[in-house]
Amino acid sequence: MNHHDNNDDDLIINGVPMGRRAFLGMLSGAVAAGTLMSPSWSWAQAGGQATLTVSAPANPSSLDPATGGSGSDHALLFPMYDTLVNWDPTTLSATPGLAQKWSFPDPKTLVLELRPGVTFHDGTPFNAEAVKTNLDRSRTAEFSNIRQDLSSVDRVEVNGEHVVTLHLKNPDSALPLILSDRAGMMVSPKALADNNNRVDRNPVGAGFMRFQKWDDGSEVAMTRYADYNGPNKPAVGAISFKIITDSATRLRSVMSGQAQVAYHLDGRQKQMIERLPTLQGFADPTIYCYQFYMNMARKPLDDERVRQAINYAVDREAFVRVAMAGAGEPAFMNLPKSHWAYDPQTAKLYPHDPDKARALLKEAGHADGIELDLRGYNDQSSVQMQEVLMEQLSKAGIRGRFRTGTIADMSAAYFGQRKEGHMLLSAWTGRPDPSLTYSLLYSSTSYFNAGQVKAPEGFDQALLDSRSSDDQGKRQEALARAQRIAMENALVVPLAFRQSIVATTAEVQGFKNNLLGKPKFDNVSLKA
Amino acid sequence: MVTRVKQRMVMSRLLQALPILVLATFIVFCLMQLIPGDIAVTLAGENASQERIEQIREAYGLNQPFLAQYGQWLWHAVTGDLGTALLSGEPVAQTIARTFPNTLLVALYATILSVLIGVPLGILAATRSGSKLDGAIMGTASLGVALPNFWFGMILVLFFALTLRWFPATGFVSPFEDFSQALWYATLPALALCTNGIAEVARQLRSSLVEIQSSQHVRTLHAKGLSPARILWLHGLKNVSVNLLTVVGLLFNKILAATVVVEAVFAIPGIGSSIVKAVLEGDFPVVQGAVLAMVVTVILINLVTDLLCTLLDPRINAS
Repeated sequence: MNHHDNNDDDLIINGVPMGRRAFLGMLSGAVAAGTLMSPSWSWAQAGGQATLTVSAPANPSSLDPATGGSGSDHALLFPMYDTLVNWDPTTLSATPGLAQKWSFPDPKTLVLELRPGVTFHDGTPFNAEAVKTNLDRSRTAEFSNIRQDLSSVDRVEVNGEHVVTLHLKNPDSALPLILSDRAGMMVSPKALADNNNRVDRNPVGAGFMRFQKWDDGSEVAMTRYADYNGPNKPAVGAISFKIITDSATRLRSVMSGQAQVAYHLDGRQKQMIERLPTLQGFADPTIYCYQFYMNMARKPLDDERVRQAINYAVDREAFVRVAMAGAGEPAFMNLPKSHWAYDPQTAKLYPHDPDKARALLKEAGHADGIELDLRGYNDQSSVQMQEVLMEQLSKAGIRGRFRTGTIADMSAAYFGQRKEGHMLLSAWTGRPDPSLTYSLLYSSTSYFNAGQVKAPEGFDQALLDSRSSDDQGKRQEALARAQRIAMENALVVPLAFRQSIVATTAEVQGFKNNLLGKPKFDNVSLKA
Repeated sequence: MVTRVKQRMVMSRLLQALPILVLATFIVFCLMQLIPGDIAVTLAGENASQERIEQIREAYGLNQPFLAQYGQWLWHAVTGDLGTALLSGEPVAQTIARTFPNTLLVALYATILSVLIGVPLGILAATRSGSKLDGAIMGTASLGVALPNFWFGMILVLFFALTLRWFPATGFVSPFEDFSQALWYATLPALALCTNGIAEVARQLRSSLVEIQSSQHVRTLHAKGLSPARILWLHGLKNVSVNLLTVVGLLFNKILAATVVVEAVFAIPGIGSSIVKAVLEGDFPVVQGAVLAMVVTVILINLVTDLLCTLLDPRINAS
């Protein structure tokens, strides 16, 4: 069946009328093709050269790590860009990446030792000069969206082919993990020089996959980089990310075999995946946390007893069961259990206890309960969560109605100039280093502290301590202190951590979820 | 002589189309302004400062007055430049060239299926008008009209893709890359889309055929001794062909609009899903360009339909 494709198309686009004969000829062709076609799959030559097809939830905002703005970009960026630092998938603690070693000779100096023998996809060698070019671009360029991430860096110095020194304005031991994110994704300096300093649509990194094409809203394709010499372990010949925004369609694409992996699926789909014998399901916690933000400048939330009462009033286990179809981990602090900086003591602060909540309200002078102005989003799953929470809060005498709208609108009204509402039901997507999470949520100048209320006594010191040492044990202690102060003062109402739900076909091997909830595909292979 | 008249008709119709194009894109532009949300905020990324958002607004010309923004877009469009997507930077012309053929293929496929199945059903019902068969066909047709495309699409996927595995459940192949593969991928979406069309074609054809058959002209043919089959095929269908053509033209436009939903169900990278994505993101150059392409197509389809009608029935005045 050989149609002259261009003609068929011109026919419609240019409105050239076609003869009856041609019309009928095409008709019969179409029908024959539709019915006689044998359903032969042609993609899968398994083994190291096979193409892994992945159903991804969103079109990337950009393929340049410095200009993109969406958290869903990472899964597509990781295969193309190796990062200076990696993380352990279950604890998110820092592990070597393109920097095989790093050290803080003093709290304001970070020295990176680079992996030798690495090249970018265009053949440019990866070295100290390349790191300097990248970091300087990310922290100073007008268009960079990650200037804030590197704001503690004062100066980047090249000390030989494979050693870079970062001179800092203030102690910042969060930097290694910051360099595991966008800021650590290395772009070829030659590609930057050739392309006006941006590679939004023509990414050139040093990752195990090199860019092939990006069709907006449809596909991002990459093929294996033959000269890859980084720390990751590629096991397929190519990856094709198909962009499918609807999660039900994403799951169907794996059920029918058009794709081998679908990620960011819904909690409700978890049981369905379990019932399908042809699929493998993965459901693991992430640091993405559903929570109530509180405007502590507004009465009655200025009283910590009221905020504590709300924390006692919510039943987190029931919330996960009912509103998230069981696909979550109850959140008693800002980090999930498996995170390296999780603090079991803090997590015990607020068991579900409506009586205690009532008592606290009474003590604060609200014996008849309180009335709150609640805000939230208008998508289906958010509304479901709101219903469950209203019911739980009302049992402790906390009444309120939700006003809902789009994410952009409601967040702007709550955090922005207008400061509307007492509490906003939203989420915190998490940051690679917990100290960023704490400072962004609770510092008095932070956008996400809607009331711009000063942090409680000791909090700032704990945060500073957490950044002044690069010893993980000391950092853990300081971070636990910061978290404990935040929770004792009830600066937030954490509810539950979302699970990363992934379905793969049976031939997929080596897939592993991570705490960040942004899948990496470096060890994934296809069974022959 | 006839061709001269036709040429003039085509010219005047194309001229009439210009204000429609401007008006349609202008209305869409206005509607885009009404959608809440701010693309500058999206572009600035998470935790962006107000200053950064202002910079972006400035850089993309989003701080200019509304009419100036539209005027600029229009001027560029007239000079053949549809701009680039604000978020991803893909040239809009490229987006259209990549996605529109997919949508057109599905819509055309569905229209052809509607005609191929609807016409025989309509004839069958008309020739046995009042019979049980007629009732059954018309009953099913009503059901076809009422059936939501996306729901029927999912049923088709469940049965033909997930259970029988005859067709793929999601995705698409560009007709330029591999036409037969493209048709294979387009079959289920086209089936999901054609239920409405089949019903409409069958119903319209039946009612006009029944009307014609009870006309004095046909009674005379009967009296002359012509066989019923000859009357139907030679005189009946010829008379309803103009009617049918008009229905098919309208149907194609309707199916084109309906592809938006079906594209989402089957994850087809078509122009409908591009529009939906761009509307949600507030990416107006993409919306404008895609709507322009759709409007041009609809205008051309209408023009072709009218031209064909004048060919089939010389009584229709071309001017």
